[in-house]
Amino acid sequence: MSPPAVRLSMPGSLRYRAVAVRVVAEACRLVSRPDAEGDASSPAYDLTHPFDAAVVSAFAEIFNNIAIHAYGRRGDGGIDIAIWVTDDSIEVELRDHGSPFDLSSVPVPALDELHEGGMGIHIARSLLDEVEYEPGPPNLWRLRKRLEAAPARASAGG
Amino acid sequence: MSSENFKVTTTADETRIQVRGMLDVNTAPTLAEAVDELMAKRPARVLVDLTALDIIDSSGVAVLVKLYKGIRAQGGQVQITGARDQPLAIFKLLRMDKVFAL
Repeated sequence: MSPPAVRLSMPGSLRYRAVAVRVVAEACRLVSRPDAEGDASSPAYDLTHPFDAAVVSAFAEIFNNIAIHAYGRRGDGGIDIAIWVTDDSIEVELRDHGSPFDLSSVPVPALDELHEGGMGIHIARSLLDEVEYEPGPPNLWRLRKRLEAAPARASAGG
Repeated sequence: MSSENFKVTTTADETRIQVRGMLDVNTAPTLAEAVDELMAKRPARVLVDLTALDIIDSSGVAVLVKLYKGIRAQGGQVQITGARDQPLAIFKLLRMDKVFAL
């Protein structure tokens, strides 16, 4: 596997979450809109592309999970993030040294009811092509999403 | 009550909550406090305007669900409007777009 395009290390604290989310959002733009001129100085997020919205949503939930559950909100460990981008996909790995997590124990929520919790992993799993988890140390989350081809435009008859 | 991420205004007819920017694990607790204060006043009608909301996560969704369920349990009405882009995608994923009539 080639080296990641982006590496990022930060405390496993929610205080740094927005930094990580911003970086992942910009990495998504490299895949979804490679020809667009970036404006990383904009204070607003641009998540109008479904690919960006899906990856950022999933990544943010996994970051939450690490900071809240693996590190118990203590922020006493780090998160190492690596991002690979290709023309049509993104892969993000997150490594932490907190308490391991049992991904298989997370139930699929019943969506015919309104829930006030327990939706984060469901969001991540639903929006990505792959969510893998290997308990550590270090614990490893591997997130993958492929850019869906734009639907073919209907031809104007003939 | 207001913060960087939301503003609550009350008129004779309704209470309006405008949410902007990020409603996530970091900002949702402050809105949750405002929701508790609001529910103590038993408002008859609450309008939640998400037009300026850029990103929501499961913590943000949880606060809106708490608001929706709490006010309705008191016999009040809740209308949630203006969700777009990422927040709308999350509501659709969680099948809340139908409940919230988005």
